[in-house]
Amino acid sequence: MAGQTDPHISLFSPQEVEFMAEDELVEIVPNMNMEQLNFISGDFGLFIPQIPTKVPLWLAVALKRRGKCSFRPPGWMSVDNLTQILEAERESQSTFQALPFSYVEIARLLFDHAHDDIPDKYMVRSLVEDIRDVRLHKLETNLGSFQGTSAVKISNVSAMEVNIVRPFVRRALEAFYKHDKPEADVGRDTRSSRQQREANNEPRRPLRQR
Amino acid sequence: MKSRSLKLREAHKVGGSAAFCSILWDHKAEHFVTSSSSDPSISVHDGLLPSTLPPTILRHHQDGVTALALSHDSSFLASGSIDHCVKLYKFPSGEFQTNITRFTLPIRVLAFNGSGSLLAAAGDDEGIKLINTFDGSIVRVLKGHKGPVTGLDFHPNGELLASIDSTGTVLCWELQNGIVSFTLKGVAPDTGFSTSIVNILRWSPDGRTLAVPGLRNDVVMYDRFTGEKLFALRGDHLESICYLTWAPNGKYIATSGLDKQVLLWDVDKKQDIDRHKFEERISCMAWKPNCNALSVIDARGKYGIWESLVPSSMISPTVGIPDILPKKRNEILNFDDEIEEELHGASESLNDSFVDSDDGESHHTSRKRLRKKTCIDDDGDAYEELNDGSSLPSASQFRKMSHRVHREKQYAGSGAFKSTAASNKYKMQSSFQPGATPLEPGKQTFLCYNMLGCITTIEHEGNSRIETDFHDTGRGPLVSSMIDFYGFTMASINESGCVFANPCKGEKNMSVLMYRPFRSWASNSEWTMRFEGEEVKVVANGAGWVAAVTSLNLLRIFSEGGLQKHILSLDGPVVTAVGRKDHLAVVTHVSDCLPSNEQVMEFRVLNISKMTEELKGRVALTPGSRLTWIGFSDEGSLSSYDSKGVLRVFTGQYGGSWIPVFSTSKEKKQEENYWVVGLNTTSVYCIACKHPEIFPQVTPKPILTILDLSLPLASSDLGAASLENELILKQLRLYETQQRVDDMALAGVDTTALEDEAFDMEVSQDKCILRLISSCCSSDSFVRASELMRLLTLEKSMRAAITLVTKLKLPFLAEKFCSILEERLLEEANEAITNPSQNPNREVVTRVESKVQNPPASFQTKSSATKLSATTFVRKAKVSEGLKLGKEQVKKDETEDVKIKEIKKLNLIKKPVNNVNKEDKGLRKEVNQEEARRSSNPFLKSTV
Repeated sequence: MAGQTDPHISLFSPQEVEFMAEDELVEIVPNMNMEQLNFISGDFGLFIPQIPTKVPLWLAVALKRRGKCSFRPPGWMSVDNLTQILEAERESQSTFQALPFSYVEIARLLFDHAHDDIPDKYMVRSLVEDIRDVRLHKLETNLGSFQGTSAVKISNVSAMEVNIVRPFVRRALEAFYKHDKPEADVGRDTRSSRQQREANNEPRRPLRQR
Repeated sequence: MKSRSLKLREAHKVGGSAAFCSILWDHKAEHFVTSSSSDPSISVHDGLLPSTLPPTILRHHQDGVTALALSHDSSFLASGSIDHCVKLYKFPSGEFQTNITRFTLPIRVLAFNGSGSLLAAAGDDEGIKLINTFDGSIVRVLKGHKGPVTGLDFHPNGELLASIDSTGTVLCWELQNGIVSFTLKGVAPDTGFSTSIVNILRWSPDGRTLAVPGLRNDVVMYDRFTGEKLFALRGDHLESICYLTWAPNGKYIATSGLDKQVLLWDVDKKQDIDRHKFEERISCMAWKPNCNALSVIDARGKYGIWESLVPSSMISPTVGIPDILPKKRNEILNFDDEIEEELHGASESLNDSFVDSDDGESHHTSRKRLRKKTCIDDDGDAYEELNDGSSLPSASQFRKMSHRVHREKQYAGSGAFKSTAASNKYKMQSSFQPGATPLEPGKQTFLCYNMLGCITTIEHEGNSRIETDFHDTGRGPLVSSMIDFYGFTMASINESGCVFANPCKGEKNMSVLMYRPFRSWASNSEWTMRFEGEEVKVVANGAGWVAAVTSLNLLRIFSEGGLQKHILSLDGPVVTAVGRKDHLAVVTHVSDCLPSNEQVMEFRVLNISKMTEELKGRVALTPGSRLTWIGFSDEGSLSSYDSKGVLRVFTGQYGGSWIPVFSTSKEKKQEENYWVVGLNTTSVYCIACKHPEIFPQVTPKPILTILDLSLPLASSDLGAASLENELILKQLRLYETQQRVDDMALAGVDTTALEDEAFDMEVSQDKCILRLISSCCSSDSFVRASELMRLLTLEKSMRAAITLVTKLKLPFLAEKFCSILEERLLEEANEAITNPSQNPNREVVTRVESKVQNPPASFQTKSSATKLSATTFVRKAKVSEGLKLGKEQVKKDETEDVKIKEIKKLNLIKKPVNNVNKEDKGLRKEVNQEEARRSSNPFLKSTV
């Protein structure tokens, strides 16, 4: 997909998407005593050894780097669950399985920084990669099949996947819109047409589920 | 016979004088290794075609190689050299692994133990080093020889190590504790300091005898345990023996003498069968495994293989190899055996140990019995026959038989007893260590787990490895792992050190107590204590003390440095013990288990530094349960947990009683068992285990779950169980804190911090009560509400309660509340006036005055309660807000009333006294009690 390589077309670079995903909460098991941390986003802690607590991913990674905690891999990152998801993803061609919105980024960060805390890490890693590939492929084929519409609804698409297809889909939808209503297009620039689309399509959202 | 020539091939060049050369076979006879003390290289020869294939040469040493050793499975080769190094290689590849140790003087001899986990190395240095082959750490240094150690051999069962030095002294070491089991002084020839001749000794493959060259050109056999001389092989050697080796089955022995002869002996008949004369002295020999062949190497570095040396008319040396191989010798067997014995009652196991320990047959009998139990009978018989074929003295065989018969009789007897006399007899629970999980062979288990850290042990090829970890890795000291020769089963850890103990296994292994401090200004401040004739049952440690409770019901208290400070006799057999700072809690049995399966136990809490008893009482348990954990909460109150999942805390209420503060059955998650680790006043720390398991595994590292304390309350019609629970817990907490304040005040310690804490608790308790009042009001239980009103501690919260009920449009309740408040204030005033002598403090007097000034406000509230609710208290939506407002109001009232207080004071005091007299006396009493408690209330001070 074009957006994957060209940073100008994609809205966010993968690094930016990852940065945003770092706000997700993960569970860690600290091995130090520390007071509660008060951040703008909320209070985290107290940190007592061997007692799990939830912190943002970026904080967890920072603590892990200093050897102050170990991760508890999230529940969806088990071999059983991932195998099930992979099978389900392969089975149905139109729907996506429910995974955390930024599962690719979380998995990536965990593998980079906390691979020793993940049981069956090689298996999990290959499963996550497989799931990502299957979903991406599915998304691409689905995009190829939509026609004559100004809105698409696909549920359970993750951040990275949305980010990849967003520029293409947006422009494709714009094009569809233009060609569907040539009379409405006269005398209007693209910006106003987009505004109108946004205003109009709310009730029409569940148009075609792919 | 003599005509048969043996062609020798050169492996190592030996120039000048003779050198000590070594030869070794691997266990499959695929390769053999040679070395020479005048050549730094080691040659690995192909065992099948030694002549055609050039040997692999390992050149890592800088000087001659004096010692070679192969691990039992031939995966590792160790070499020792005159260059003071011991190197480890992979075998057969010969890949260099590591310099596993260094000495200050040349190495003379190396030996692997049966499992390959230990390498013993010795030489001209003072001690024999036992090296852990896994990480190269020195497990132990055995010191005792006066000269260079030239011979080492591990006993086949891995428990003993025999060593011989060049002066001819033999020492036999017990590896478990590193002590010498026997010494044979000067039994072998003195070889001087020459590196070319060594003294040698070898255990027989069945492990019963130790063969050592004698002073009279003979080989002397010694008993494994006592070191008694059994017999000697004496024959045609003209000079003393310099090397000997047992045939794999132990029926033959090959000896080489300084007279350049090699003799083959039949050990059973004690006579030589065959001999061979060589041109040079044979310095080393090795039996080729699975073959009737002996490889030899002479002092010139020439080797050869003496094929089919045992005549075909006799039993081949490869037939009937005793299976005391390390795999078979695994502790699992012994362990199972022990469990079984335990099941059959203590008396019998005692009997066992008496019978077993005086001969050396315990292993054999136990294995045999196990086989009989688990496998088909034929198997065991076959094994017996095999043993009979060897040189087993018939007497011991007979004893064994009779022993077994005896045992079987006992089985029958005990079974009958059980079935008739005590069919439903329950046993007293055995002693346990809090925070330990049951030992499982081959698996890591917790010896101790508490809020601070944990001690784990794993049995690994006969020895155990003990690891100590702190949960807070940043703060706790790093403690290196320890090889445990004793087989510790009990441990306790705190900030300053850890203590270990093992039970005694028969007469040979005494019960040992060991203490390892984490920080000490002096090196080597570990210490051990041995107990003869008694067994450590439970250990505990605290601030500067270590305690051990033994099978003789003795409580022994040691200082941190190992000084024996106190020995107390306890009332009964110990169940468990735990320490925290100065306090030691010991639980003992009071009597046998009741027929209803209730354990009768008693606890004592001792203060070690003051030498006082602080608490004593019975241990409360759920019927039919056992005590599974005992400990101190973070605040220091004694807590217990039983097998039915009820956590109790001991409080001073009602003269000292257990309060069940947590119950597993009340938790929603039924499929989990909780393994308690610790608790504080609000929550319990535990490890959640999936249902069938009741204790956690070491890996993956368990994490703690925090559960709120919840009393087993009856389901009330109020529908506010959590609030009721909270209230009781808060009352409990407040009570404890006030007790502590009183204790500290008595001791003359500054109590302000604790008093502040108590004040905070009172505030939060009042908040809780206010919420309860509101839920009582909504369910129309007004009597309960007024009772709750009386429980309120702070005046401002009472005011808040009044505003609350007025807001809830319950004027009659508001009126009642007002009268309660009045009563309270009058009581206080009364108290202050009648006992002014008790409060001579000026501050207190002013406090009383400020108290007295308040009634006008309350009267006002009473008279215009409804009006006020409409105007002043409209803003108060929440109870907590009401509390705040109440506080503000109190302050306002104070400032306004300060001026007129003197005038009104007398009047007010008169009136209320009359009022109170009319009231119910019981209520008054209650208020009085309230008053008594409030005497230490810091709030009163703070309002002034």
